[in-house]
Amino acid sequence: MSRIAITGAASFLGSRLLRRLVETRGPGSVVVVDVTHPPAALHGVGYRLVDLTLPAADRKLMELLREDEVDTVVHTAFFTDPRRDTSYAHELESIGTLNLMGACSAAGVKHVVQRSFTAVYGARGQNPAFLTEDDPPRPKEGFAWIQDKLEAEQHALSYARRYPKMTVTILRLAPLLGPGLFTFYTRLFARRVVSVVMGYDPLLQFLHPEDALPAFDAVLAKRIGGIFNIVPRDTVSLLTTLHLAEKVTVAVPHPLAYALAEAAWGTGLGEAPGGFIDYVRYLFVADGAKAARELGFEARYGSREALMDYLAYRYPDRRPRAWAMAEARR
Amino acid sequence: MRPGAAGTSAGRGPKRMSTRALAAPIARRSPAGGARRERRALIQALESQLTQMRRELEWERRGRIAGEGLEVSLARLVHAGLRGLTLDNLGRLQAALYFAWHSVKTEEFGRDPVFADTLRPFFEFLYGVWWRVEASGIEHIPAEGPALVVANHSGVLPYDGAMVKLAIQHHHPARRDCRMLILDMFALLPFLAPTFMKNGEVRAHPDNAERLLGNGELVGVFPEGVKGVGKYFGERYRLARFGRGGFVRIALRTGAPIVPCAVVGAEEIHPILARADWVGRPLGLPYFPLTPTFPWLGPLGFIPLPTKWSIDFADPIPMDGYGPEAAEDPILVNRLSQEIRETIQTMIDGRLARRRSVWFG
Repeated sequence: MSRIAITGAASFLGSRLLRRLVETRGPGSVVVVDVTHPPAALHGVGYRLVDLTLPAADRKLMELLREDEVDTVVHTAFFTDPRRDTSYAHELESIGTLNLMGACSAAGVKHVVQRSFTAVYGARGQNPAFLTEDDPPRPKEGFAWIQDKLEAEQHALSYARRYPKMTVTILRLAPLLGPGLFTFYTRLFARRVVSVVMGYDPLLQFLHPEDALPAFDAVLAKRIGGIFNIVPRDTVSLLTTLHLAEKVTVAVPHPLAYALAEAAWGTGLGEAPGGFIDYVRYLFVADGAKAARELGFEARYGSREALMDYLAYRYPDRRPRAWAMAEARR
Repeated sequence: MRPGAAGTSAGRGPKRMSTRALAAPIARRSPAGGARRERRALIQALESQLTQMRRELEWERRGRIAGEGLEVSLARLVHAGLRGLTLDNLGRLQAALYFAWHSVKTEEFGRDPVFADTLRPFFEFLYGVWWRVEASGIEHIPAEGPALVVANHSGVLPYDGAMVKLAIQHHHPARRDCRMLILDMFALLPFLAPTFMKNGEVRAHPDNAERLLGNGELVGVFPEGVKGVGKYFGERYRLARFGRGGFVRIALRTGAPIVPCAVVGAEEIHPILARADWVGRPLGLPYFPLTPTFPWLGPLGFIPLPTKWSIDFADPIPMDGYGPEAAEDPILVNRLSQEIRETIQTMIDGRLARRRSVWFG
């Protein structure tokens, strides 16, 4: 019997994915590989305690994968939020993926699906309006949050080259936004005053969590290797996002913004380090045409709809007039 | 002043006055005859005093109420104002101001139709009144399907793009919206970047151009780039190098016809006499022009000179005959690029030969 293993099952996306896998395949065919127990409500789900950051994690994981006859691994053990403890994030994301890939290739796993982020393209002024999977990822140097994710991708791709029998799929998801999420994006909505870069208003993509799961379904069903952007139908501008949430915006000139953000991050006031300023200054909009063509995946929600869903969840007793206009679907 | 204080100080006066007035007629009373008359007089005096007192009391009461009312309402207003000055209300105010000239919906490439409509009257004024643009040959632009409008670039600020766009919207039967490809230097500057994006312009990048043409849109491009807008006045109407022929490659790959376009009049709106590029470099500008008015007249230096413009479109050059693989043939690409450049140069020279005045055409 072939089983599917999932890492990072305690995360927002991982826990929903786990529930989905249990619903569609039955609890007996799902194994959670994590440092956290799966929820008690999911009876019968296999659980293997593996800390991917430990030096011998690859060997232990390989044995467990063989024992459980796992043929598919879904790897979602990544930090959505920037962390102050960058060395642990590096161990988990970059080295953890290396360990996982080593174990999978040795255990004869047929398919590895790795969750990634459209942010790996890096937000740059020189980016085309829509980044495709052929565009090389060029995140800001020294910005550990995204460098680790890119390294994880590179480890996965190098294993895919060396072990052609193992299909490796990387799903670059646009930033998630929807009911129930708690990320550094949504923490910005908890603030009353949000600072923006003066004179810039880039387009953003927000992927509705309900769109993320069908993307994993499609890739698990079709078992196609390669990189895919999983993005919403449309984009929404940063200022539109903030003004729909009726936030007070304070514009900071861009030469100051990086230093201020870094200082705020260092003192614990900010949600993200200075490197993140690029992501609210320049574009990193990804194109979902390849996923539509090869996976048959097309998002049902647009960015604005994901935002409106989130705002309705976050502010249940507020109904500004602009919302009615924004909610009207085309 | 406190309302209580006002009441007591005002109330003392009439009370004292009324006791004195009451005492006077009683003292003058005589015991002999006419007692009834005297009593009547006394009653009348008392009544008039009472009326007077009542009136004074009424005035006082009214005054106190009026004073109190004013103070209370002022206090309420200040209180409400302070209570109303919350971050929530500030956020609401900002949102109301923002959505007054922005749409909640964002189209592909970030175009905002409401924002574009807000800017339109400004460009309409420049088009109709300031530069009195005369357009000809609009019929050469196909009614539908992709096409690439290739024009000469000049004028320090890319007004020519806005004018070509308006000319097509005014005179083309299908009122096609021409999406202008803009230089990085304008697409990345603060304030200008979102303004261009929301007005429907797209950063000049081969992927963006191909995507737009693939969607069947009309795309405008200025292959001279910075060399065109930052041209010295002495070099006016002499076309600079057409980049590296990127626009030809895009047209070959997508099979979109090229429509040559000549803009005359834009070279003189900001005549560049000299350049102090070292001033602009720290600000992220590729050049810093010195014109007869800029920067000497301060903000007035931004006002372009009211020249007379003409925009001419020529026959479209079909590009679908070569096949998409021709885009990889550098000799062909360069030859086509040169041909189009010469076509536009000829159109400009013809128009200049007919032009008698810079200001009146």
